Amino acid sequence: MQNQDAVLIETVAGRPSPQELRARASYCQLLAGAFIEEPGGAYLAALRAPQALAELAELGLHFDADFTAAPLGELEDVLACEYATLFATSGGCPPVESSRLTGRFQQEPFHEVKMIYQRCGFALQPGKFAVFEDQLGVELSFVAALLERLAEALEDNDAAAAGRLEREIKRFWATHLGRWVRGYAMLLERVTEHSFYREIARLLRDFAESELDLLKVRVDDVDGGREVVPKSEISVLFNPDEPVCGGCKHGQEQDRILA
Amino acid sequence: MDMLNFKISRRAFLQASAATTAAAAASPRLLRAMEVELGGKDFSPVNYTERKAIPTTCHVCNIQDGAIAYVENGRIVKLEGNPEHVSTRGRLCAKGNSGMWYTYNPDRILYPLKRVGARGEGKWKRITWDEALAEIAQKLDAAIKEDPNTVMLKWGRDRTGGAIVRFIKTLGSATMMNHTSVCESSKKIGMQPTWGPDIETPDFANTKYILNFGSNVMEAAYFHNPYVQRVAEGMADNKAKLVTFDVRLSNTAGRSDEWIPVFPGTDGAVALALGHVILRDDLQDSDFINTWTNVTVEELKDHYRQFTPEWASKLSGVPVETIERIAHEFATTKPATTYTYRGPAKHLYGAYNEKACMMLPIMTGNIEVRGGYCLPRGMGYQQPQPEPPKPAKPSWMSDHPDYPLAEHKVAHLVPFWIAEGKQKINVYFTYMDNPVYTNPGAQAVWGKMFRDEKLIPFYVSMSTVMGEETALADIILPDCMYLERWEPESMPNSLWPWLGFRQPVIKPLGETRETRIILRDIIHKLDPDGSRGMKKYWNFKDGEDYMRQQFDNVPGLKEAGGVDFLKKHGVWPIYGKLDPASGKIVDKTGRPIEPEYGLHKKELSAADMTGAVVEKNGTIMKNGKAIGVQRKGRNYVGFPTHDRIINVRVDEWAEYGFNPMPTFKQIPWHKDMKDDEMILTTYKFNVHVQSRTASVKWLAEIAHSNPAWINSETGRKLGIKTGDLVRVESKVGYLVTKAYVFEGINPKVVAIPIGCGHWEYGRLASLKLKEKGGAWGAQDDPDLKNVWWEDNGVHPNLIIPVVADPIGGSQGWFDTVVKVTKAGPNDKYGDVQASWEKHVDAFKETMRYAYTGDLHRKMHPEMASWGGPDSARHKEGGGH
Repeated sequence: MQNQDAVLIETVAGRPSPQELRARASYCQLLAGAFIEEPGGAYLAALRAPQALAELAELGLHFDADFTAAPLGELEDVLACEYATLFATSGGCPPVESSRLTGRFQQEPFHEVKMIYQRCGFALQPGKFAVFEDQLGVELSFVAALLERLAEALEDNDAAAAGRLEREIKRFWATHLGRWVRGYAMLLERVTEHSFYREIARLLRDFAESELDLLKVRVDDVDGGREVVPKSEISVLFNPDEPVCGGCKHGQEQDRILA
Repeated sequence: MDMLNFKISRRAFLQASAATTAAAAASPRLLRAMEVELGGKDFSPVNYTERKAIPTTCHVCNIQDGAIAYVENGRIVKLEGNPEHVSTRGRLCAKGNSGMWYTYNPDRILYPLKRVGARGEGKWKRITWDEALAEIAQKLDAAIKEDPNTVMLKWGRDRTGGAIVRFIKTLGSATMMNHTSVCESSKKIGMQPTWGPDIETPDFANTKYILNFGSNVMEAAYFHNPYVQRVAEGMADNKAKLVTFDVRLSNTAGRSDEWIPVFPGTDGAVALALGHVILRDDLQDSDFINTWTNVTVEELKDHYRQFTPEWASKLSGVPVETIERIAHEFATTKPATTYTYRGPAKHLYGAYNEKACMMLPIMTGNIEVRGGYCLPRGMGYQQPQPEPPKPAKPSWMSDHPDYPLAEHKVAHLVPFWIAEGKQKINVYFTYMDNPVYTNPGAQAVWGKMFRDEKLIPFYVSMSTVMGEETALADIILPDCMYLERWEPESMPNSLWPWLGFRQPVIKPLGETRETRIILRDIIHKLDPDGSRGMKKYWNFKDGEDYMRQQFDNVPGLKEAGGVDFLKKHGVWPIYGKLDPASGKIVDKTGRPIEPEYGLHKKELSAADMTGAVVEKNGTIMKNGKAIGVQRKGRNYVGFPTHDRIINVRVDEWAEYGFNPMPTFKQIPWHKDMKDDEMILTTYKFNVHVQSRTASVKWLAEIAHSNPAWINSETGRKLGIKTGDLVRVESKVGYLVTKAYVFEGINPKVVAIPIGCGHWEYGRLASLKLKEKGGAWGAQDDPDLKNVWWEDNGVHPNLIIPVVADPIGGSQGWFDTVVKVTKAGPNDKYGDVQASWEKHVDAFKETMRYAYTGDLHRKMHPEMASWGGPDSARHKEGGGH
């Protein structure tokens, strides 16, 4: 059985370019926009721009006509209802780490991320609606902000700051996002009735996988999803070919003396 | 040295041991098991640091236990009793211990929601507070302009300390309804005109005999937590005998010295027969009767002559010998008390039953004595000034002309009245009220009303969760959980009065707001500049400021520090210290504190008597008010009735053609029950309230399904065994559930507990996965995946027709005649069906028993000289 809390962080060989970091930050922010509150008109319009759709299609994301063809106002309205059904009414699946990992709001993950934001000099500002610090949109925004800072540090040749930020990003994926977003994305993909959230869920899952891979962070997703580890990568401390008790030649001897 | 001979037989050894027990008990014991402190402190098991302890008042049910919330790193990690609280003495029940899971429930509502589909379709849009308040204000504005009484507010549990009533009065509406008619209104009305208060406080700890009629006092009745402590003390320390009349073997009945499985609704007849024996055998306290009541012993003896044990035995099934014996035991054991809860009161004519029961401590002089039946002790607090005036016009529904004596209203008939067009409603508010689940008819009646936009054009629910009623709302305003809000408290739940409060132990989650803030914000939206004269009644900064306006000038508390004292202690006064050895509150000398008795015998001072007039009957009047009563040359405060004595004869009842003296009316449809018919009764689990607790994980795990209790003898006759599916059919519908067959219930009764069978209230309560998608539930939620049960029970209220006590207004919860049969091939577990039309028929039938109805006279042949409905004066509504 896998240890659900097991985390493995390997050293990353070579640093990504500031451009790449900003691209990753941009994906984080794009994903955050789908969760932090009901998607607004400007966000949806930007996402439905032909170029954006084409880029997303290249990634393998294919939205249905309910997203691409609906008038913008109508889409905004429909997605607001879908948002409420999925995330803001009883029986839904709020995108909140505490709720996903403990079944209750405002538990340990909430307090932990709040401390982390504070330590890194961030504070949650009130938006249109109050959200928990461990809400998916907030957690993704936090990583986006760190990635932006990392890009700046690299541009400034501030190796110390870059190192700190790299470690912070890895730690956050290892101790928070990596522990729940992949499983959560799979759930969301199953339950939503709108292609927007279906594709966003797929993007979330694949982006998380790729980030964890890139950061060389191995952590089990304990929200229903599990990391699939190729058997070839499993190293064991015992010989799997060793016969089980009683299976050896000595064990098969009829007249052996049992202590 | 001589050796003692211990080589004795085991029998002799045991005999010697028994004989020496008393000496052993008297031997001083200096060694005592180590006790941890009895509450008040708690430590983190991880880092051993002391957790922050915040005193507050529990509000999982309505006992209002003193509680302490322990907070670690901003998270409520534990709740326990407040050891400084005189009533609950450091103990919380299972419900209270689980209270924090309300707060962190992932299914709670955190934002204002607006309906976007059809009512009940489950389609919502999150809106801002400003949008919600603006829409509500606009609807209110239109409604008030038409008629303020078209704005209705119905609450289930209002512990806001007056804010709810202030709100509806500010709007100028008198259409305010409570939940009391499905709760205990006929108990209240049975008592109030007789001795003043609407409740009793038995001195269980010091009594020698408890006659318990229809109350599960050890786990569910009003004040069960403080009372069970005292009942246990009475039984253990004082060797009190507990006799319980109940249709089923509740845990209280099971722990009683005697359980008498009385036929439903006949407790009153038994109580009258007990009174008959007491008076017949001259065991009454004549001095008390003659001094403190408005009847003489002879009048009482004459009146009670008709209520023979033989008569009561035929009605109740209680043997004549039992009635005779218990009457003698009760009258000759001093002190003694009765206690009642819903058993006697929740019937057609429940008020008569309650009155009959309370006559027993009255006629035996057990009133206001140590170990007896005492007046409730309460404390008041102030209301912020100015207060809105009384609404200009009475509301037809709140001040119903057919139920003039039902001061606590008859709210369970509201849907029928609205459907009949008796009163137009434009805006309907609910607050902590789930009538779609908790009222008779449930969704067949209340669900039907709320779904009909012609009947209820605009419906606002102030709620913490998506209850069955909230799911039908147009706008949902997210209310705070009890651990996040301010509320004043005082409950007469022991013989020591206290004031306490509820203070937030954490900040409210999401965008939830506490009730009085929600109400203030609505008023401020409606009257932003104060020109409508509403804003001035809502002049406070926040919840704490409101508390200061209520508490800071209470004499005594003010000197102790007012709200600051309460913030530290949670309750005032502190009567003593909780003794870890006895669990009692002790004074500085280590002795248990003693309450004050004989409140009615407090003498008026000379100053009180200045300008007072003593009337012929002894009532002392001053400034048009009765302030006391003169007896044997002394001026006492007496009882808080209109003439300061106990009114055995309630003249006001006679004005409406009801019997003013203690009496009993058999439920007409119970008279001719067929062999295969039974009475359906419901009850509460010890870990659940009516509906709210079903979403609390610890509690739902303990109790989540509710098989129907059936007596073994009945089961044999019907061919039903435990686990069989049975069909329970009333005149308004049927349900299919499982049977639990055993000896612990009257053979003519089938009992189904409430608190189960939710179809809303979140995933845990309803145990259903979201229909669409099918993957929202157990397997994905980290906590719900631990839910091992697949049965959330069957809700019985749908098949219970409305019955209204024409005096007290209570719902006759335990009056339903049903047929119980083995389920048929097409019956499935959980099937529940009922029809609105049949419920309407039941409503029409119950109205016939009102004093204006055609059956009233038939039920009261003894009141032949009554002048009829036209002779009665209209009585203005009141109560709460």
